[in-house]
Amino acid sequence: MLPVVVVHGGAGHIPKERSEKSTEGVCSAVRAGYAVLKRGGSSMDAVVEAVAQLENNPAFNAGCGSVLNMKGEVEMDTIVMDGKTLGSGAVSAVRNIANPVCLARLVMDKTSHTCLTAEGANKFAQSMGVPEVPMESLITEYARMRWRKNLAADAKPVECQMGKMGTVGAVAVDSEGNVACATSTGGMLNKMEGRVGDTPCIGSGGYADNQTGAVSTTGHGEAIMKVTLARLILFHMEQGQSAEAASDLGLAYMKSRVEALGGVVTVDPQGHWAARFSSKQMSWAAAQKDTLHYGLYTGEHFTQSIDEPL
Amino acid sequence: MDLKMSAVLVVHGGAWAIPDELAKASVDGVKTAACEGFSVLKRGGSSLDAVEAAVRTLEDNTVFNAGHGAALNTDGEVELDAIVMDGRTLACGAVSSVQNIANPVSLARAVMEKTSHVMLTSRGANQFAESIGVPTVPTDKLVTEYERKEWEKQKTYVTGVMEDFNSQWAHDTVGAVAVDSAGNVACATSTGGIRNKMVGRVGDSPIIGSGGYADNFSGAVSCTGHGESILKVTLARLILSHIEQGKSVADASRLSLKHMGDRVRGAGGAIVVSPSGQWAATFTTERMAWAAVEHDVLWYGLDPNEKIQEKLAQ
Repeated sequence: MLPVVVVHGGAGHIPKERSEKSTEGVCSAVRAGYAVLKRGGSSMDAVVEAVAQLENNPAFNAGCGSVLNMKGEVEMDTIVMDGKTLGSGAVSAVRNIANPVCLARLVMDKTSHTCLTAEGANKFAQSMGVPEVPMESLITEYARMRWRKNLAADAKPVECQMGKMGTVGAVAVDSEGNVACATSTGGMLNKMEGRVGDTPCIGSGGYADNQTGAVSTTGHGEAIMKVTLARLILFHMEQGQSAEAASDLGLAYMKSRVEALGGVVTVDPQGHWAARFSSKQMSWAAAQKDTLHYGLYTGEHFTQSIDEPL
Repeated sequence: MDLKMSAVLVVHGGAWAIPDELAKASVDGVKTAACEGFSVLKRGGSSLDAVEAAVRTLEDNTVFNAGHGAALNTDGEVELDAIVMDGRTLACGAVSSVQNIANPVSLARAVMEKTSHVMLTSRGANQFAESIGVPTVPTDKLVTEYERKEWEKQKTYVTGVMEDFNSQWAHDTVGAVAVDSAGNVACATSTGGIRNKMVGRVGDSPIIGSGGYADNFSGAVSCTGHGESILKVTLARLILSHIEQGKSVADASRLSLKHMGDRVRGAGGAIVVSPSGQWAATFTTERMAWAAVEHDVLWYGLDPNEKIQEKLAQ
């Protein structure tokens, strides 16, 4: 059994000028997650660390750098899940906090609930002493530009969404064989206020079960929900498919049944992992046995020592 | 229209330790809703129309914790969750934490049919409701005297007792599943959630794969019970995965509920219908009010292993 952490920075079509930042970002996040595993931290600690870093990185559609809803505001969705207990924490449409993944974890650890939404989620954040940050601090020029562009009557936000920026996520298995997942997003470009996608919906944005594995998804949110993609992939693994084959089966089904594209990172309790996508690109990185793996375009798989600079 | 082939509708009014004083009203309520939903199927309506009609009837009935009769959150307000799903296309609509409307199941259907999204929450859901002309209902019209008294009583209890959500508390979510004569399945689930829940708490009901799921290739499910447990095992989707593997609707339900009990110590119930018209109403709580109509026969029950039949009034 080999501990591993795999992260993704969103599936879609990342323009060339942003792809370098994307690759750098996922590699940096996976290094941080891996460091947690190496010092004996849990898979939950590792995925939260990795995703928190991606939330802080303005190049990704999560936390700072989130896309804007129709009104030009940031509403974020996140989930974490613990494969040992099936414990889970999620927040949807939460505002003005820097790290929704940490708040989702607090929902799991400090309440008897698994999901809090909107004002309730913010109220809870306040009660936990999570600092409120001005919305402006989460909004990048790039996000604002994309929002403005998509206000035009003939804009096609869904198509534009399947590109440029994506949800972030991570899966991991630690030295005790515990799996975990975390997924975080600002959601869909120019979404209706209060729109909730797959990310905070257990079984869709992510799922983790020590008996089978863990998955974090990205792509067209509504489509991921319709096929409960994370849970679907794990059903295939329960029936004996490998992490890679199960991921491909799930993505193929989503493509044929609801005609949508996406990507996943998947891990099993033995440390087998996969980063698969049906979209043009998905920035991803994995760390295992002191080796860094990463890629962006279909078929890419670079490896190097984790300690070497990129 | 010959419905002998497959049209079936099943409803539930919640899986929990329904007290004797609510028993008759609960059973009457699910019977009425089942007949209402089936009449839609009889006149050629779709399974989607039928489950919406059945659940609206249950939402309007103050005996159940959905729409009228909803439970209060810790701030003394009503927050409603609902889902509908169309097994033919996998189209889905859901709302969470929507306030002051009478029929969240219809709002969920509007999300599915009038937006490009699947789920809206909170203020956004309410804004959407307003934009399509859904009337606002004041909280005191939705909440019964009984509920307010119970809520006040609970407020004075020690918090420790409140946290034992695995106990057989009021879990009277409502729901329906149906298959129409065209072989299309659909599900709908609606709830006010747990009494005294944290503001913004979202349970299983509006979460696709947990509170409900529908797929013409396997069937439709609506769940009720301890929400957090249902979520952890994605109960609706789990039941259908067993059916996909060849299990009967009854075995699939039993296995999945047992798994939920073993793995996360949660109790609940589920109603299931297959595309060929097999159906089941199963629960691991003390009681579940349920009713089903098939071939002009009305079935219903409350206690474990209870299955009473009546000829459907013409």
